[in-house]
Order: sequence, then structure tokens, then C-alpha cells
Amino acid sequence: MIRASAAVPVVLALVVFVAAWKAIVVVGGYPPFILPPPESVAVRFVDAWASGVIGPHAAATLVEIALGFAVGAGLALAVGYLLARSPLAERLLSPYLVAAQATPILALAPLLALWFGPGLTSKVVICALIVFFPVAVATMVGIRSVDARLLELARSLRATRRQIVLTLEIPAALPNILGGMRVGVTLAVVGAIVGEWAGAERGLGVLVNLARGSLFDIPLMFATLVTIALVGVALYVVVVLVEGRLVGVR
Amino acid sequence: MTRRLAPLVRFTVAALAALAAVALVACTGGTSPSPSARTPLVVGLGFIPSVQFAPFYLAEQEGYYADVGLDVTFQFKIDPDLVTLVGQGSIDIGSADGTSVIPAVSQGIPIRYVATIYGSFPSIVFAAASSGIAEAADLEGTKLGIPGRFGSSWIMLQALLGSAGLTPDDLEIVEYPDFGQGAAVAQGAVDAATGFANNEPVQLALSGEEVVVLHVDDTIALPGPGLIAGTATLDAKGDAIRAFVAQTLRAMREIEADPERGLEAAIAAVPELAEQREAQLAILEATIDVWSGRVTADHGLGAIDRDGWQASVTFMTDLGLVPNAVTVDALVTDAFLPAD
Repeated sequence: MIRASAAVPVVLALVVFVAAWKAIVVVGGYPPFILPPPESVAVRFVDAWASGVIGPHAAATLVEIALGFAVGAGLALAVGYLLARSPLAERLLSPYLVAAQATPILALAPLLALWFGPGLTSKVVICALIVFFPVAVATMVGIRSVDARLLELARSLRATRRQIVLTLEIPAALPNILGGMRVGVTLAVVGAIVGEWAGAERGLGVLVNLARGSLFDIPLMFATLVTIALVGVALYVVVVLVEGRLVGVR
Repeated sequence: MTRRLAPLVRFTVAALAALAAVALVACTGGTSPSPSARTPLVVGLGFIPSVQFAPFYLAEQEGYYADVGLDVTFQFKIDPDLVTLVGQGSIDIGSADGTSVIPAVSQGIPIRYVATIYGSFPSIVFAAASSGIAEAADLEGTKLGIPGRFGSSWIMLQALLGSAGLTPDDLEIVEYPDFGQGAAVAQGAVDAATGFANNEPVQLALSGEEVVVLHVDDTIALPGPGLIAGTATLDAKGDAIRAFVAQTLRAMREIEADPERGLEAAIAAVPELAEQREAQLAILEATIDVWSGRVTADHGLGAIDRDGWQASVTFMTDLGLVPNAVTVDALVTDAFLPAD
């Protein structure tokens, strides 16, 4: 009963979105090659998955996202902890981290493809870069928010550094860290697509370009965009579920 | 029960209000053009202003379009956007690749190719003469640079390789999405690359490198860039389109006879080109060469090679790029070419 009532707003929002989309097409008189109606996109979506058009591209993008997120989040956890516990590190690194975050990844991606090649490495680097900042900042904030009295208590009980980190600081900072990962995992999808636009043989970003620029198959382009959105939503839900397991439902 | 439903009811009302607002916005899109003594014509040219658009610049600056009652404005778009906008009618007439027209019409985009600009297919494979590559068969086992596995260069490459019994799997394809394959050939990073007959080979030759160019025209007469217009636009502004085509071809003939005149017109439109006069003139002269082709040599600039279009439809259908069958009549019309 509780799960059904929780799903109602989600389903209702989807219905309103699709109805608004259809209304825009009908009232605006847009031709299918400008804005295809939702039913055309739905049919093309099913066709493209069933015929194996989207599948290989989606698999390639998922690999890039998974590796990029793992590398980016892993580094971000370590750097975030360092920033939280070392004022010197924060003063030294913060300006460069902020500058890197402020530089549009769309401008950096071609350079990274040039330096790391058009293969998987450049995509992982791009994803890792885009994931890094939100997770690092969330980690830093989370670690700093650990109650100082608990730290004092741990030290008074002669806890080792490792014990303090693993049994006190990280668990206490988990809500913040996982909040950063919610943002990071959706940005990883963006990073993968941008990386593919900078040069790739396969991926959902490549398929968007092919559908639009070579095939003029606009329903396929929209179906690919829907796939990208679903990937982002699915990964976000995974992080939420992990968060629910580790820190409880919030 | 009432307390649980209230938020849901509020959400539903808000959503319906948003839906109504969206519908209202869709109804009020677009504005009518203001009245003018001349017929306004929005002309879509390629991605960036360039010396290759010299005929359009010359015709505009010399008043050829104004003399026939046209008020022309230029927009610069990439090919996929231009094709879509011409089909929609936001752009009245544009320069687009013939190999884009075929899949676009197959997908229901209502456009027609009304005049040929490039009588030869401009997309080519080039290599340094020192590479030993002299014909398509020599590409086997080489490293070849390409912007991506899409567009006219990808179609041309498959046709060229096919003429030698090869496929893209018989060589190593290296992608340069920033269109740096010319530099890659110059630096020896790749053995050959796709490019345009009036660009990369010219740049390489100016740097002192001897260049080999492989053309696809001997294999298949793929349709090069030309003027396209939406079918609705052809119905509504047919006379204006016909006049525009005639004056553009006039400017092309004048530039053919005097390339410097075309260069000056391009520099007047794009002053930055003046910094590379020699290079830009070489590009323009190479462009003029590509205007000529098998059919235009016999029937004049602008003439449409219907046999070439048919062969191209068959070839691109075999590549899987034509999901719905199209006829040449659905793709091209020579009704808007000058009678002479």
C-alpha cells in the first residue's frame, strides 16, 4: 500500500509530461523531424532496442560511466578527506579544484581526447573529472561535520587513526558522501556522452550524432536521449538504494 | 484519507495549470515577417563563413539578388541543422550535401535539391606523395584519419574502398572529431585522411608537400553540395527561389572567369580572410575546379546529374542509410534552373 501510493505521483508526473509533449506537438503543428510525437518515439525506442541498434551503444556508455565514476569517486574520497583534515592542503588545492570545475568539460574534452586517444581512457578521464568535484566537496563537508566530541572520545579511548577513520569519521560522513555521489553519478552520464562527442566509435553519444547527422532519424535520436535519461535515473536510484542500506531511508 | 489526498489534488491542479501554460506558449510561437518591397529570403550556408561561399557574397554585394527583388540574409549552420531548418521552412534555401538529402527525404523531411553547386564530389582521400599511396587499393593496411564514421566523408570512403574490393575493416581508422586529420597527415601520424578537395590538399601543397588525391567520381557520381529548398517554400516562393538560383549561378560564372573578384567579395564579407590572401585564393581556385563535373561540363553550372543521383540512392540503400525507398524525382527538381 505504501509503495503504491509513493509511485502514484511519479506516474502522474510522467503522464503530465507525456501529455504536455503531445500537446506541444499537436497545438504547435511541429513536423516529426522537428519534434516527433511521444508515440513515435516510444515505437522507435522499442524497435531500436529489439533490433539491437541501441544495446551495444548503451553497453559501451555504461562501461565508461562505471569506470569513470569508480576512478573519480575513489580519488575524490581520498582528496576530500585530505581537504577536510589538512588546512594547508585545502589552501593549496582548493583554487585549482574550483578552476577545474569551472572550466567547461565540453571545452576540455577534445584536448583530453587528443592527449589520451579516442579510446576508453579519455572517456574514463572525462567522467572521473566531472564526478570528482561534487564527491570531493561532499566528503570534505561530511568529514568536517563529524562531532568533535566524538573524536575526542575516540582519542581518549586510544583509538588508532585507522579506527577513527573507519569506525567514526566515514560512517558519520556517509550521508554527505552519498549525497555527493547522487550528484556525481548523474554527472558521470554527462561526462560519458561529452567524451563520446570528442571522438568514439560506439556509445549513446555517438548514436545521438549518427541519428541526427547521418540518418536524419529524429525519433531514434529522441529514443537515444530517453535511454540516456533512463540510465541516469537508474544509476541515481542505485545510489539512493545503497544510501538507504547504509544510512537508512532519508 | 482527505489529508493524504490533499497534496495529491494540489499537485494535479498545478500540473494541469502547467499543461495549459505550455499549450498557450505553443500556440503563440512564430511571428510574421514584416512587409517589404522585396521578397525576404533566408539563405543557409555551411558551418562557418568561408571563401567557398564567394558566389553568394558577390551576388549580394553586387546587388544581383536585390535587382531581382530579393532581400537576402545569410545564416551559417552545420549540415544536419540546415537540412532540418530548410525542411521546416525557417530557412528558405540552403547549401547542403546531396548525400544528406537522400536519407533526409527518406525520413520524410520535405526538401528538394534544386541546383548543383559542386559538380564533382568534393570529399576526397588525400595523402603525401611520399606515402606511396596512388590509388584506392593502396589504402589496405594503412592508417587513415577521418572526422568520424558519419557524413559525406564516411560515405565517400566506403565507396572508394569498395571500388578496390576493400572495406573500412581492411585499414586502421583513426578519428579526428576536431577535423585535425590534415595536420595528422602532415605530421605523419596517419598515412592518409579524408578531406575536401578545396581544403586540406591545398593547405598541404602550400606548405611544400606533394599531395596525392583520390576522387570517388570515377567510381560513383555521388551528389555534392547544392542548393536545397523546402517543398512548401518552393510552392510559396517559387519565383524567388528561381531568381536566387539564377543570380547565384551568374556569380559563379563570373568568379570562374575572374577568381580574384570572388576573393575580394569573400574578404569584404569575412575580413579575416585577408590575412591569408594567397591561401584563400588557392582554396577558391580549387573550389572553382570542383564546381565542374561530368554533367555541368555539358549542361552548364547548376545542372543536376539524375543518373548519378540514382546510382547514389542505390549505393546508400545498400549501406542501410535509406530506410524508406525514395525516387530521384522525390529528391531533385531542375524546374528552378535557368532555362538556358
